Amino acid sequence: MDTPHYVAARVQQAIAEDGRTNELGIRVDVRGDQLFLRGQVSGEDQLHLLTDVAREAAPGLTVHNEVTCVEVRDPGEEEHL
Amino acid sequence: MSIRVAAVADIHLDPAQRGSYRAHLDGIEERADVLLVGGDLTRHGTLDEGKIVAEEFQGLPVPVVFVLGNHDYHSDAEQEIIAVLRESGGIVLDDSAETLLDGRLGVAGGKGFGGGFAGKSASEFGEPETKAFVRHTREIADRWRVALKSLDTEYRVVLSHYSPVKETLAGEPPEIFPFLGSYLLAEAVDAEGADLIIHGHAHAGTEKGMTPGGIRVRNVALPVLRRAYATYCLDSEEC
Repeated sequence: MDTPHYVAARVQQAIAEDGRTNELGIRVDVRGDQLFLRGQVSGEDQLHLLTDVAREAAPGLTVHNEVTCVEVRDPGEEEHL
Repeated sequence: MSIRVAAVADIHLDPAQRGSYRAHLDGIEERADVLLVGGDLTRHGTLDEGKIVAEEFQGLPVPVVFVLGNHDYHSDAEQEIIAVLRESGGIVLDDSAETLLDGRLGVAGGKGFGGGFAGKSASEFGEPETKAFVRHTREIADRWRVALKSLDTEYRVVLSHYSPVKETLAGEPPEIFPFLGSYLLAEAVDAEGADLIIHGHAHAGTEKGMTPGGIRVRNVALPVLRRAYATYCLDSEEC
């Protein structure tokens, strides 16, 4: 079995470089046969694609996708500089 | 007289999000005089995504100024993206400057680049790849000096994708700071003077920071703001 450290690095690289995701800010952790994804993406579609890419890059591991979607709220108050 | 600057970055539009951001821009003319968009407009940097960005911001009642980000370079279509944004009425800065609002506001900038921060940065030394990386940032900083010098306006704002300071990166892993910005950008702006620096790129960073020279820096990456855009009023006495 691959060292978890390198598996996590490989998955992170895949998520950054795969055209379906191209997400650079996703944190990947591997504990035993469990793989955890954390961070934020802009939409639901992106969220599910992360799971697909991670599964393909680390077959045999259980992927826990804890990534959330960024909620865009109204502009809010202005700051005076 | 005060100027209200709206700013956002890292909107990462793709076909699935067509129209979704536009809805947040209704009524922007009541909140701001200008909208600055600090790069990573697209997800993969394709021309099709660039066209979606152009549609999203077309016809707004306030001028819109863009710079590109690293994602917008990914498909080698950056010049085509710049062209469609300009055709749709947007202003695109590519290490250049523009004067807006009847000569009252000057905006200078471009994509920026990385290299790290004073004391912990890469040097133009060793392999050609390393030298090219650092030289790219140095040349950008030099062009920003020229761009800023060309502005004779009441207020000057710098628009970038990469960060000029570490403070607004707080929350990102320190190991990747050299890929998130460079002090050379701040040094250039501190030398020429500006009222505000806007950037994005660091999704896990912090909104507020300052250059060593005391210029306010704001990281307006959408995941940092968690709101459609931030609004900054220049000249607090009249705000």
